[in-house]
Amino acid sequence: MADVSQMGRRDLQSAATSHRGDRVFTRTVAGAAFTSLAVLAGIALFLGFQAIPAFQSQGLSFITTTGWDINTNPPTVGIFGMLYGSVLLAFVGLVIAVPASILLAIFMVFISPPRLSKILTNLIDLMAAIPSVILGLWAFYILNPTAEEWQVLLNKYLGWIPIFENTSGNFLGTPFIAGFVLAIMMIPIITAVTREVLSRTPPDLINASEALGCSLWTMLRYVALPYGRGGVVGGIMLGLGRALGETIAVFFVLKLVYETNWDKIIESGGGSVATLIVSRFGEVSGPSELQLLLAAGFFLFIMTLVVNVIANLIVSRTGRLQK
Amino acid sequence: MSTTTFDPAALEQLQQQKSGRPWRKKPARFTASVTLAVVIPALLVAALFLTSDIPVPILLVVIYLPLQLIASGIAAWATKGTRGIADSVIIVNAIGASLFSIVVLVSVIGSLVVRGLRALSPHFLFQNSVYISPSTPLDYGGIGHSLVGTLLIVFIASLISVPIGIATAVYITEVRGRAVPYVRFFVQAMSGVPSVVAGLFILTIVVATGAFNQSAFAGGLAYAILMLPTVARTAEEVLKLVPDDLRTGALALGSTRARTVLRVVIPAARTGIITAVILGVARVIGETAPLLLAAGNNDQTVLNPFGSPISSVPTYIFNNVALPYPDAVARAWGSALVLIILVAILFTLARVLGRGRVGR
Repeated sequence: MADVSQMGRRDLQSAATSHRGDRVFTRTVAGAAFTSLAVLAGIALFLGFQAIPAFQSQGLSFITTTGWDINTNPPTVGIFGMLYGSVLLAFVGLVIAVPASILLAIFMVFISPPRLSKILTNLIDLMAAIPSVILGLWAFYILNPTAEEWQVLLNKYLGWIPIFENTSGNFLGTPFIAGFVLAIMMIPIITAVTREVLSRTPPDLINASEALGCSLWTMLRYVALPYGRGGVVGGIMLGLGRALGETIAVFFVLKLVYETNWDKIIESGGGSVATLIVSRFGEVSGPSELQLLLAAGFFLFIMTLVVNVIANLIVSRTGRLQK
Repeated sequence: MSTTTFDPAALEQLQQQKSGRPWRKKPARFTASVTLAVVIPALLVAALFLTSDIPVPILLVVIYLPLQLIASGIAAWATKGTRGIADSVIIVNAIGASLFSIVVLVSVIGSLVVRGLRALSPHFLFQNSVYISPSTPLDYGGIGHSLVGTLLIVFIASLISVPIGIATAVYITEVRGRAVPYVRFFVQAMSGVPSVVAGLFILTIVVATGAFNQSAFAGGLAYAILMLPTVARTAEEVLKLVPDDLRTGALALGSTRARTVLRVVIPAARTGIITAVILGVARVIGETAPLLLAAGNNDQTVLNPFGSPISSVPTYIFNNVALPYPDAVARAWGSALVLIILVAILFTLARVLGRGRVGR
């Protein structure tokens, strides 16, 4: 037997796992740990497998055209408008949520007294906890009339800008309202990440910048924001992932139209893949249409997976730099 | 030369200016200009609001915000010079963003309470919706069947996701195998799966293959997919807090690795793991889309987790929101109030338990 004092940590570990029960335990735990991979692969395989016949019947036009006509044979279906609509809604949401969240985080970390920031942190957590169906209910009855009023005013005074055009006179079910609801869902996510990275700015750097005569703005501009940039971008991407996959809240406030609404954000009608799935599912006509919905779900999954993976890579990389 | 003489009073004054609490002992001039900068725009806008019929959004965005920015800018310039102006712009906008979020939150919670209370009553919580049509008055029927369904689905989801989630955390913190970074990565990627995709996935493998109907079991599977990442990540954080002394102590007493984890580490982190489970439940309990696809809808109370479609609180809300009957809409608000109270209770529980752990 070797001298115990010469045994390294790894030897001790292997000595500890040589027991048969331990080997079973380790394997079981390792197996369970790969459940997440199995589920991800399962989603990709099963939905992807279902997407193949949809592609065979539709060809590439499934993702390059817009329309949902199930009565022709074969049905002519394209989800480009939905994919684009998801991105447009998320973009409108980001335009509102990003400045609001970053300002909110700056307020909580650098401006407000500690007690107030603690209250605000709890309120923002509460905001993150509101289920999307409740937000949809609220948006349908409370936000809609108010937002209609805002949009009429936007159209009246800024209607000469193409994105604020509205020819139908109907200001409900617009991408703007849906984007606003998405912004409310993204604000807690982006704020939480931004607050976290800003509060981790080394106090030495802040003190040094103050000693050099920096004001709040110059400190933010040259110290805190560059330091936390990666985390802020990652937080924005996480919010984006959430917005792209959001279904129910959008379902209540967006009028789903099967044509591409390119940029008319206060014109009634838009698209969203996730909402398309739920709204068609209720009146699905048969297995072939269900298959088309599964194919749409496959593209939604791929889109959100890519966004989330990029977001997590960015966030974890900034985390490592800070340690 | 003044630089050679040491003046304690001047130093103290300097320290006060740069102290960690710069809001203490403000000079009178500062207080006066800030007060003026807050009061004057507010009074002007209030006067405009009362005398003219400019729409409120325009009044706030086009008149009040620029006015407030200019007033604060002047006040900052008067007290701190030109560098103060950029600061005042940030501060005004930051306060504006905070107020915006608070207004949204108050509006959501307030409307839930105001509109939801009308529907709440004991029978609303216990009765089911058999024989209830959307136009039935609020004196009859309730969401008892949906509450039972939600509890059943969440219970099934917990049965599946909690052991797997804890095992994943144990793999990351205790076994520390070579694949830890990958496992972490996959758990994070899984947390980004849209809820509707989770529902579609379960629909394809469980329902469409004919193994089960839309049921509590299928809904529970979909919820488990959404719950697993939250449980795994929170449990990982919690297990990391268990002191290494406990592990080495148990191993030194001759305990096997498995026994160390099951009898020492996990019991030591018990409250934290309960917190992880509660957070996981709170994360999924309001999800609607997966249940619409995988669990379906029902007016009756269903106790069999495999046989038939089952109702749940979120899908009940979903089905009642846009109906053209005031009483159906009131039921939607009432069940939304019940749902948010459930979520609030779960989060409070998690917070209280979490606080106990830190305090020890």
